[in-house]
Amino acid sequence: MRTLTEDQVEIGSVLPELSIDLTPTVVVSTALATMDFTPVHHDVGIARAQGSKDIFLNILTTMGLVERYVTDWAGPGAVIRRINVKLGVPAYAGDRLSFNGTIVSREAAEFTVEVRGKVSLGDHATGTITLTFPEAS
Amino acid sequence: MTEPAPMTEPAPMTEPAPTTAPAAGPGSALDRELHELADKQVALGEMRGSPSVNPVNEPMIRHWLDAMGDTNPAYLDQGVAPPAMIQVWTMPGLRRDVKERSPVDDMIARLTDTGFTGVVATNCEQTYHRPARLGERLTPATRFSGLVGPKQTALGEGYFATWNVTWYGDGDDPVAEMMFRILKFRPRQRASEKAPEKAPERQEPKQPYPLRPAVNEDTAFFWEGVRKGELRIQRCSDCGELRHPPGPVCPSCRSANRTHIVSSGEGVVYSYVVHHHPPVPGRETPFVVAVVELPEGVRIVGNIVDCPTDAVGIGMSLRATYRAMDDELILPMWAPRET
Amino acid sequence: MLKSHAAISGIGATEFSKKSGRSELRLAAEAVFAALDDAGLAPADVDGMVTFTQDTNQEIAVAREIGAGELTYFSRVDYGGGAACGTVAQAAMAVATGMATTVVCYRAFNERSGRRFGQPDARLGGQPTSQGLEMSWHVPFGLMTPASWVAMFAQRYMHTYGATSEDFGRVAVAMRRHAATNPAAWFHGKPITLEEHQASRWIVEPLHLLDCCQESDGAVALVVTTAERARDLRRSPAVITAAAQGSGTGQMMMTSYYRDDMSGLPEMGVVGRRLWEMSGLSPSDIQTAILYDHFTPFVLAQLEELGFCGHGEAPDYLRDGGIEIDGRLPVNPNGGQLGEAYIHGMNGIAEAVRQIRGTSVNQVPGVRNVLVTAGTGVPTSGLILSTG
Repeated sequence: MRTLTEDQVEIGSVLPELSIDLTPTVVVSTALATMDFTPVHHDVGIARAQGSKDIFLNILTTMGLVERYVTDWAGPGAVIRRINVKLGVPAYAGDRLSFNGTIVSREAAEFTVEVRGKVSLGDHATGTITLTFPEAS
Repeated sequence: MTEPAPMTEPAPMTEPAPTTAPAAGPGSALDRELHELADKQVALGEMRGSPSVNPVNEPMIRHWLDAMGDTNPAYLDQGVAPPAMIQVWTMPGLRRDVKERSPVDDMIARLTDTGFTGVVATNCEQTYHRPARLGERLTPATRFSGLVGPKQTALGEGYFATWNVTWYGDGDDPVAEMMFRILKFRPRQRASEKAPEKAPERQEPKQPYPLRPAVNEDTAFFWEGVRKGELRIQRCSDCGELRHPPGPVCPSCRSANRTHIVSSGEGVVYSYVVHHHPPVPGRETPFVVAVVELPEGVRIVGNIVDCPTDAVGIGMSLRATYRAMDDELILPMWAPRET
Repeated sequence: MLKSHAAISGIGATEFSKKSGRSELRLAAEAVFAALDDAGLAPADVDGMVTFTQDTNQEIAVAREIGAGELTYFSRVDYGGGAACGTVAQAAMAVATGMATTVVCYRAFNERSGRRFGQPDARLGGQPTSQGLEMSWHVPFGLMTPASWVAMFAQRYMHTYGATSEDFGRVAVAMRRHAATNPAAWFHGKPITLEEHQASRWIVEPLHLLDCCQESDGAVALVVTTAERARDLRRSPAVITAAAQGSGTGQMMMTSYYRDDMSGLPEMGVVGRRLWEMSGLSPSDIQTAILYDHFTPFVLAQLEELGFCGHGEAPDYLRDGGIEIDGRLPVNPNGGQLGEAYIHGMNGIAEAVRQIRGTSVNQVPGVRNVLVTAGTGVPTSGLILSTG
C-alpha cells in the first residue's frame, strides 16, 4: 500500500473525492461496530417516530469515516493527531456521503487537511484533520 | 427517549416542550439558575468512570475497520487501535444499567426539564496523544466545561453545553481527549429564517401543503406571529377590545387603530370534531379540529395533535404548538397540556 | 307589509337522481317548464327570475331556453342553501311592489355527478376576499367540509344539553320513514332503523354517515305571482303569509364559532321572529314544517330557535316519533333532503306547496299553514305558506 511522505505533500493540493453509499447496512453495521445501540441508528420506525426521515449515521461513525477518508489517501504511514468536526445535517440511510479535502497548512511536522463531508441535504460534517507523514526516505 | 449518556451521541431530534416552560432569556431567573448549576458542575472537575469492560482488542478493531470500509493495515500490523475508535472502547453498549454518573447529566436533565427539550450535537473534537494499544483498558474521565447562552438559534432559543472527556491508558497517561458540544433548545417550528445548518427536518423539501390561508393586510400580523411561534390576538389600540378572527375596524368603537397582544399559548377545548371522511388534501385521516377558547377571552380554530383522537374532550387543557406544513407555511396547532 | 300579497302558484321539478346525464341549464329549463305547466302559465308570462348566487345558470340563459321574453326583475340570493326561501321572498317582494308579475325561482345542479359540495375544495380559502379570509381561519386545518362545520356545532350542542347521537338519529329515521312512501324520493322504499343509524360509519365525529343528507342531481322551480292573480290560476295558491331572511350577530358561513353560544342557530331565531311577527301566527298554528335537513343536528336546533320547543328540549320533542308523519309536528313529509333529494332546500318548498294544496303523497291532515326554512349554519331564510 502506497504511503505518502512529507515531501510529497503540498499545501493547496486536493484529496481525491470519496463517495460512500449510505445503505441501511452501512448505517447499522457502523453503529453496532461503534457500540452505539441508540435505536435511531438501526430502527427506522423509531427514527421516523422521532421526526427523522430514516435511520442516520452516528457521530462515532462520522469520526471514523473522516479518519478513513484521509488515511485512504495518506497511506498507512500517516499518523492522525487530531480530528475536529463541526456537525451538520444528518446523513440518512439511502443518501450518499461524499468527502472532499484540501491540505491547508503545515506547522512543524503536522499537516492540516480541511475536510468536508456532504450529503444531499448539505454539509454533514466539516472540519480539520491534523496528521503527520513519514519523512522522505 | 432518555437523555444520551455524555459519551453517546445526542440524536438530532426534538420533543414537545413542557407547557409550563418558565421564561428564559438573558438575565431571567431561569437563566441565572441554569448558569449557577453550570458553574457548580464545572467546579466538580473531572469525574472518572470505570475502566472499559473490553480491553483494546483485535476482533472489535477488525469489525470496526470492516464496517468503516477502512483497509488501512497499519493498525493491526502495529497492534494499535484506529485513533477515531477511541470513544468506542468506553461506550456503554446495551448495558444501560451501568451508565455512570458524570457532571454532565444533571445539567442536561435540568435543561430538558425547563423546556430545552431539543438536542443536537454541534461539535466533536478529538486529539490523540498516542495510539491505544492492544490489551490496554481505557478509563474515561469527564468534566463539564461550560454552558453558553441563551442564544437565539434557528432551531429555537437554546444553550450550548460543552464537556470534555479524557481517556487514560494502563499507565494512567492520557491517550486521547475529546471536546463534545451540544445545543439544547426549546423547539419551535422555524420561521422564515434561512434553513439552519442543523435543522434536520428543515432541509427535506416538503410537498407544498395544499390548504393555504388567504392573507391580506388585515390578517398578515397573525401569520407573521405564527412564523415567530407567537399566537397573536388583535387588540384595538383605542378601546382595547380583543378580537379573533381579526378585522380592519373595531366593531365596538369604529377605530381602525390596531395592535395585537401575544396570547399565553394556553387554551381549552370548546368544541371539536374528528374528521374521518372524505379524504382531505394534505391530511391524513382521522384528524381532530377544535374550537379552542383562550384565557384571553377569544376563540380560535386549530388542530389537536400529539393526542389520541378518543382522548380529546370538551374542557381539555391545551397549549399552542407550531407545525411546519411545508417549507413556507407554519400552522398554529394545539397539544394536550400535561398536568 | 309583504304579508299575503304573493303566492306560489306553480311547482315543477325534474327527477331526482345521482347522475342526470343532462346539463344544468337543461335541468333548469325542464323544471321551469314543469312549474309553468303546473300553474297553467306560458313562458311568455314570465317577467322575473330569481335564483341562488351559487347557481351556474344565469337568469337570461334560462329565459332564452324557455322562450321567455323581456325580464323586468332578476335577482340572486347568496349564502348557499340559505338562499332557498330567500328566492321566494325576493320574488314575493317583486310581485308585491310591481317590479314583475310572474317570477320564476329555480335551482338546478348536478350536485352529485358534477361538483359535489361535500368534497373538500382547496380553493375555499384561496382568495383574500372577505369570504376567503373567513375560510382561511378553518380550511388550513382541514375544517373544510359541510359535515365538519356542522359537526363542530353538534359536539357543543351534545355537551351543552346532554344530547346524544341517537337524538340526531331519530331525525334520520323519521326522514327515511317519510321518503319510504314517497315515489319521487331517492330512498323510496328504504326506511332505516336507529340501530342502522348508529352502526353507519363516521363521517366527521359526532356525525355518522346517516346524519348527512344525500347528494343529488336535479332541479326545482317555483312560480310566484300576486295572491290575487294566483286565485284565478289552475292550482290552489299557496299564499306567502310571511317571508323572512336573517343573519345573526357575528355571523359567518357555517363557522360562526366565535359568538357567545355555539349550541343554537341565532340566524334562524331571527327568521323565526320575523315569520311569527309578519304572519301573526305562532308555532301551534303550524300543522307541518319543512325544516332544512342537510345534517340532522340542525333540525333539533331549528325546532328550538323557531319556538316549537325550548332550548335543549328538542331531544325530548323528537322522542316517540315526535316529528314523524303521525307525530306532534310532522317534519318534511316528503322525506327531506336526507330522504327525498338534496336540491338545496327548493324541493322542500315544493313539498310545502303540495301540503297546502292537499296533494302530497304523505299528506298531513288539515294543513292550513306550513313553515319552511332554508339552509342552516349560514345566513338563512324562511316562509310561512298558507291556504288561501
